[in-house]
Amino acid sequence: MKSHAIARRRATIAAGRVGLIALAALAFSAPARAAAADVSGDLVLLDWAAGSEEDMLKALEAGFMKAYPNVTFKEINLTTQGDQRGAIRAALQAGQKADIFINTWPAFRKELVDAGMLKDLTPLWTGAGIGDNLSSSWKDLGSIDGKLYGITYTFGDRSAMFYTTATMKKAGITAQPKTWDEFVANFKKLNDVKVNPIAIGAKVWSHTEWFESIYEHLNGVDMAAKLTSHQIPWTDPSVKNTLKKYAELIKAGCCGDANTMLAMDWDNASDAVLKAGTYGYQMIGMWNNDRAQSTDGLKQGDDYFITQFPAMGAGHDDVASVDTKEFSEFANAANPAAADAFLAWIDTKDAADIVAQHGLASPSTKVDGSLYGPVIKYSVDAVANAKVQFVMGDLLPGDLVDEYRVQLQKFLQDPSDATIDAVTQDLEAKAASSY
Amino acid sequence: MIGRPPRWVPIVVWLISIIWIVPLVGIVVTSLRPPADTVLGWWRLDHVVFTVQAWISVWSKYPLAQGFWVSVQLSVIATVGSMVLTPAAAYAFQFLRFPFRRTLLIIIINAFVLPQQVVVIPLFTLWRQVGLIDNIASVLIPYVGLSFAWSIFLVKNFLEDFPFELIEAARVDGCGPIRTFSHVVLPNSLAPIFAVGILQFLFCWNSLLIPLLFLRTQLPLPVVFAQIAGTYDANWDLQSVAAIVTTAVPLVVFLAFQRQFAGGAMSRSGSKE
Amino acid sequence: MTEATSDIEGVANKSPKSPATGGGRRKLAAARWWKNGDVGAAYLLLVPVLVLFAFSVIYPLFQTIWLSFWDIKGLYPPKFTGLGNFLALARDATFQHAVVTTLLWTGCTTLLSVGAGWGISLLCALAPRQTLMPRVLIFAAFGVSEAVTGYIWLGIYRPDAGGLLNSVLTAMGLGGLAHPWLGDVNTALWCLIIAYSWAQTGLPLILIYAATQAISKTVIEAAYIDGAESGAIMRHIIAPLSLPGLRVALFINLLGSLRAFDTIYVLTAGGPVRSTETIGFFMYRESFTQFKLGYGAAATLVLLIAVLIISIPAIIQRTKEVR
Repeated sequence: MKSHAIARRRATIAAGRVGLIALAALAFSAPARAAAADVSGDLVLLDWAAGSEEDMLKALEAGFMKAYPNVTFKEINLTTQGDQRGAIRAALQAGQKADIFINTWPAFRKELVDAGMLKDLTPLWTGAGIGDNLSSSWKDLGSIDGKLYGITYTFGDRSAMFYTTATMKKAGITAQPKTWDEFVANFKKLNDVKVNPIAIGAKVWSHTEWFESIYEHLNGVDMAAKLTSHQIPWTDPSVKNTLKKYAELIKAGCCGDANTMLAMDWDNASDAVLKAGTYGYQMIGMWNNDRAQSTDGLKQGDDYFITQFPAMGAGHDDVASVDTKEFSEFANAANPAAADAFLAWIDTKDAADIVAQHGLASPSTKVDGSLYGPVIKYSVDAVANAKVQFVMGDLLPGDLVDEYRVQLQKFLQDPSDATIDAVTQDLEAKAASSY
Repeated sequence: MIGRPPRWVPIVVWLISIIWIVPLVGIVVTSLRPPADTVLGWWRLDHVVFTVQAWISVWSKYPLAQGFWVSVQLSVIATVGSMVLTPAAAYAFQFLRFPFRRTLLIIIINAFVLPQQVVVIPLFTLWRQVGLIDNIASVLIPYVGLSFAWSIFLVKNFLEDFPFELIEAARVDGCGPIRTFSHVVLPNSLAPIFAVGILQFLFCWNSLLIPLLFLRTQLPLPVVFAQIAGTYDANWDLQSVAAIVTTAVPLVVFLAFQRQFAGGAMSRSGSKE
Repeated sequence: MTEATSDIEGVANKSPKSPATGGGRRKLAAARWWKNGDVGAAYLLLVPVLVLFAFSVIYPLFQTIWLSFWDIKGLYPPKFTGLGNFLALARDATFQHAVVTTLLWTGCTTLLSVGAGWGISLLCALAPRQTLMPRVLIFAAFGVSEAVTGYIWLGIYRPDAGGLLNSVLTAMGLGGLAHPWLGDVNTALWCLIIAYSWAQTGLPLILIYAATQAISKTVIEAAYIDGAESGAIMRHIIAPLSLPGLRVALFINLLGSLRAFDTIYVLTAGGPVRSTETIGFFMYRESFTQFKLGYGAAATLVLLIAVLIISIPAIIQRTKEVR
């Protein structure tokens, strides 16, 4: 099974002016209308996916329409740049109506629930048998205060590092490190062959991945949950310990100079690791798997692979940072029956296999594991028995996310203890007004 | 040929312009190379292989012909609109007296500061309510309306230096304000009008945000190309093709009309040379 | 009696071909026979313009003003806050920094682009026919969209050897100067300014050049034949002619730079550490990424008011009288 998550925060460079949103209604009708079934009519999806994600969605729609021939799938396509939430909000505020939509931000889910716009799906879990196909940890991830609002249909491991076999061979690293100390010890081997150990693209957001994985391995997901819901402050010692550990990494010579990090976005970092070979590892989401194959033309397993974040020995090594995509239903959906049917169908074997065939990981228990490629299979196994925490950039409230990224940039410029104190204080000040 | 201009002048200017367009040359070359070669930098020369693959696939993958036609329609209509309405307004502001003259002028000129994003969301809601979404009027109205901020300033600035004797002469001859405009001012103001025309054409042709939001079925070129940017793949080669195709037309228009608006045929006294 | 505008006098004095009209300094009779017809004619000429303008600008402006009085956070119910947003802006260190950045940005890009455009156009005016192609080429840089400009210059500023700038420096033996240009807070803004000015020079170039062409070529030819050298021609004939074009170019580039967005977004996304965040970018971030529409609207209004304050005296002064 291959795993695939959308690079939603990618600063895409379009050939025209980078605007904010576009509403281009795409009528998408299926050919046949067969004999009567219980579920019928139009099912409208508010869709912001593009590229190969869009291909997978089309396949899913086709599969659903085969199972429910009386339903016609329609899409409302939003062409977006950067964070798509702006576009979705604007569309919803302008009165755009739809039945279902794709969500990848728990913070956004909360916002919509508080605005009364999402339907409570808890009855469907048992009533429609969704629980037969998904483990309860996915239910928890898609719930707020015990009520289910989103059905996960794909997920990605965010605690794995990409590397190329060529670079590892050049540095003489034969086995991937299992512990933190081994990992840091390998830095010397990499630096000796003029390879920077870690590529961190700090231009926009991807430098936060390291903070999160370190935090979760040192303090556990429960603490992480408390932090993101502001039950503990950002000045808490757990945060400072994480930053000190992050600083250790930098002082051990992991990443080159700060300004270079700040000039790189995640895609530059990816190219540096996979194509130029000037950097050793990059911790980035599973969409990089697709990039490695299509843009860089590499073969997974042979040319590159991934390794999970090393164990830190603080008693929380069975954790992983993940991102997911879920389908949610609008409270004012025009066709709730079809929407419910779709949500129940999305993790059945047929649907899950479609997801897997398109190089993404499916959370379904019924998915055919042999459809996954080696990279995705590795990531699925890594997450399978882990306690998961949703990636914080999608979880924190809007104001705070931006401050979080910028403060971590400041930290990278000068990872000293004084900076750590200043950064945590500023973060806490912002958090106080954001919740 | 003007007398004997010093030889170094064209050389220096040519040199400047050649250095100036090196980045543009980069785009052209990128469109002719496979994406894997340029992913590490569009001008990297380690592996130079040329291919027209990008040009071919852009043509086959995207509805370019239709996009081209829509772009032409939108840009031409908006340009004509501006070219007709702007001189009239500038003339009124410069030569006529009416209440609120100065206030209106201040408002119009300062509107230029408003970023497009501010303008576009309220308009979207309005068009939705009125049912104008996917109608070219929804795009043409802002195109022309937003142009006045700079176009009226441009033409009015020119009119400030307009020889007043001509207007006087027209008055003496018994022309009212409108006839003075159409018979005296307009024919002698072709240069700034064409300047407005060329610039308006360029801005409308390149405009992405407004048609992206307001149009659904018939899309102009920039919107068509906005769909090229894939989520994973940079598609630099395709985007370069898009950039070249989009930029080429306004340049051709500029070349074709630059003499009209360079004012070579016009002198200030109104008498022909 | 109404006074003629000093502008008219100025032109009449400068324009070599204007018919002698009592020294051009004519105190004009009140022309009262127009005055009543004026208002009607003005409406006729202005109504279509005002209607279109009302839709495109006035309506969104009122919406913006209305929004600025509300505290809006995403889809949560908005709270009325009167001047609260403005007070918060005044206390917001990020906004204050954005103001400084904007001043720097606007000043430098306008100076650079208009200055370069002026200089090049003056040179071109000395040799119009031979310099057509260079003018087109430089205008081509203006014709490319902002986002593409950003992409082009990303490739130039790349921090590694893949960047054009760093490679050229290394090739020239100045490898020590190679730098992560967009990642260093000291250089990021300047690099942005250069990239944007590169694109914006084309407009002043053609506007000012057009202004210089208002004079008949035979005059310049005659001057050359009479033995005048280029410096003198430049100073006494071409430069003064270029001034009206310069005025327009300054205005358009100055106000245009306040709206610059795509280039900044693509090159630095407002970073590093918000060092390249102008008010325009601040507004975008607050309004569209964080969906605090009210706050973003307030920022836009502050910008608008600032520009109004500066421009009103200038406009009033230049529209003092009509005849």
